[in-house]
Amino acid sequence: MKQKSSFPTVLFKVFMYLTLIFTVIISVYPILWVIQSSFKSNAAILSSPFSLPDTYNFDAYTSVLNQYSFGTYGLNSLVISTVSTAVSLFIFSMSAYVFAKFRFPLKNFIYVLFTITLLVPGHTKTQPIFSLIMNLNLYDTKTGLMLVYLSGGIAMSLFVLRSTFMSIPMELNEAADIDGAGFMRTFFQINMPLAKNGLTTAGILMFLGNWNEYYFAALLTSSPQNRTLPVALGFFNQAFSYDYTRMFAALTLVVMPGIIVYMFAQSQVQASIASSGIKG
Amino acid sequence: MKINKYTHIERSRFIKIYLFLLPTIALFAMFYLMPIITVLFTSFTKWDGFSSPQFNGIKNYLRLFRQGSFLISLRNLLNWSLIAMVGHVGFGVMIAFFLFQKPIGWKVVRSTFMIPNVISAAAWAMIYKFIFNNEFGVLNSLIREIIPNFSVNWFYQSPAAFWAITFTWLFYAVIVTMLVLGDLMAIPKETLEAAKIDGASGMQLTRYIKLPLCRNSIGTSVILSVTSRIAMYENIALTTRGGPGDDTMGLSLILVNNITDYNYGMANATAMVMFIIGILTLLVINRLFRMNEPV
Repeated sequence: MKQKSSFPTVLFKVFMYLTLIFTVIISVYPILWVIQSSFKSNAAILSSPFSLPDTYNFDAYTSVLNQYSFGTYGLNSLVISTVSTAVSLFIFSMSAYVFAKFRFPLKNFIYVLFTITLLVPGHTKTQPIFSLIMNLNLYDTKTGLMLVYLSGGIAMSLFVLRSTFMSIPMELNEAADIDGAGFMRTFFQINMPLAKNGLTTAGILMFLGNWNEYYFAALLTSSPQNRTLPVALGFFNQAFSYDYTRMFAALTLVVMPGIIVYMFAQSQVQASIASSGIKG
Repeated sequence: MKINKYTHIERSRFIKIYLFLLPTIALFAMFYLMPIITVLFTSFTKWDGFSSPQFNGIKNYLRLFRQGSFLISLRNLLNWSLIAMVGHVGFGVMIAFFLFQKPIGWKVVRSTFMIPNVISAAAWAMIYKFIFNNEFGVLNSLIREIIPNFSVNWFYQSPAAFWAITFTWLFYAVIVTMLVLGDLMAIPKETLEAAKIDGASGMQLTRYIKLPLCRNSIGTSVILSVTSRIAMYENIALTTRGGPGDDTMGLSLILVNNITDYNYGMANATAMVMFIIGILTLLVINRLFRMNEPV
């Protein structure tokens, strides 16, 4: 039964498509505009904001990377995000595994405690964390920042990883028991390899969260050798706010890695955001 | 009696199970449990972080509620929360309902809508600083195509600054869209078919079937969007820094300022206010959307 398109239906369709086009434009154009401006001279940016660049040269990028040490900051971001993601992925998968596979006292209580962390407004714990890092003598170190980032994705990782481990048949564990594989071997050699998808998803989300983090990075580091990209961007903005070409090049350098990671792992990112409602 | 339900084999595994949980419990204690306890108790003290905290009752709270910038922050938070509940969540829900119709290119929309969410909030705030730039920003350049002499310094004048900050997040509701789309897709096809056979119009279908069945995800979205407003920092700190005057002040900024001034007691009183507002939102929305009852 094909509906006849009446006037209101057509109007609705037009409104719907216009809204969707608007959504795409506001999501993509700001970034495209930044990238395109990073190839233009200051004068061109000021006189014709919408024009495409005449030539594409990467002078601004090399200057930002070398002169303004964005290379170092990028490396810092990469090391800090990767190490803390890897360690927390390992830690959280151990917890998710026992939540998914076994019965034990206080199971639900502990699970609720871990996942309720999602609802605590992030910045309320600022002072205690700041003091903790100070007291551990980790202020202005990469280790300090890594330690803080470890705790970041508890709730999201447990949601994602628990359901992954739950989807691995319990019969595999029983078979492993019969064959005499211990608790550790059953986890590392049987369950972990099969949980690859969940691990990838949780890992990507935590990596993006760490890569993009600004608040604690700004609060817990001070010297350039421990600065991450988002923090460097803030400093750059204060010091060279009128060098628009370089500013846009710096912005592009900070923004692109996240977008590239997302493009390669779209389905995972979308699925897990849909299920847990959070990123990182 | 409860203990007895565990078999011998299960009980033999308990130690290993708790060992597996230990690292996460340690992180939880270090970064959630201890901090929240510290925040609660030291919010009633005068504390500079060097000497030990001195109990001073509710003085911090009284001082906070007499501070102009704090009161403006509360007013901003209230306004932003209302805008978030209606505008942000509303827009996200609308996009979800549109995408559920599977129009041409809906997957492209879903993918691109996510992009602002996978990049750094700090970078996004700065991008918006340039988009709203008076001389060469996208917005004013567009407006000047129609009104040649248009000139507004969005982030630097009142009341434009409040709205400039609002627009850095208002339409970026992809998380709402994904949550609601998940609920929509979980509605059994039979339910929708049956309603259609009974003669329900598109509007009635939305009003009486789809929206009520999405109330969990919409409730969650409202909670998440308000908690993000409570914690909003980069959008302000990297654009207006709370200005002009205290026009766009936020609780997170006051908290950070108190920490850098070594007013830890005041910082934690501010944190407690944020915490309480978060919990209250959670409880109220939970009741309002009857989120504990099965759909």
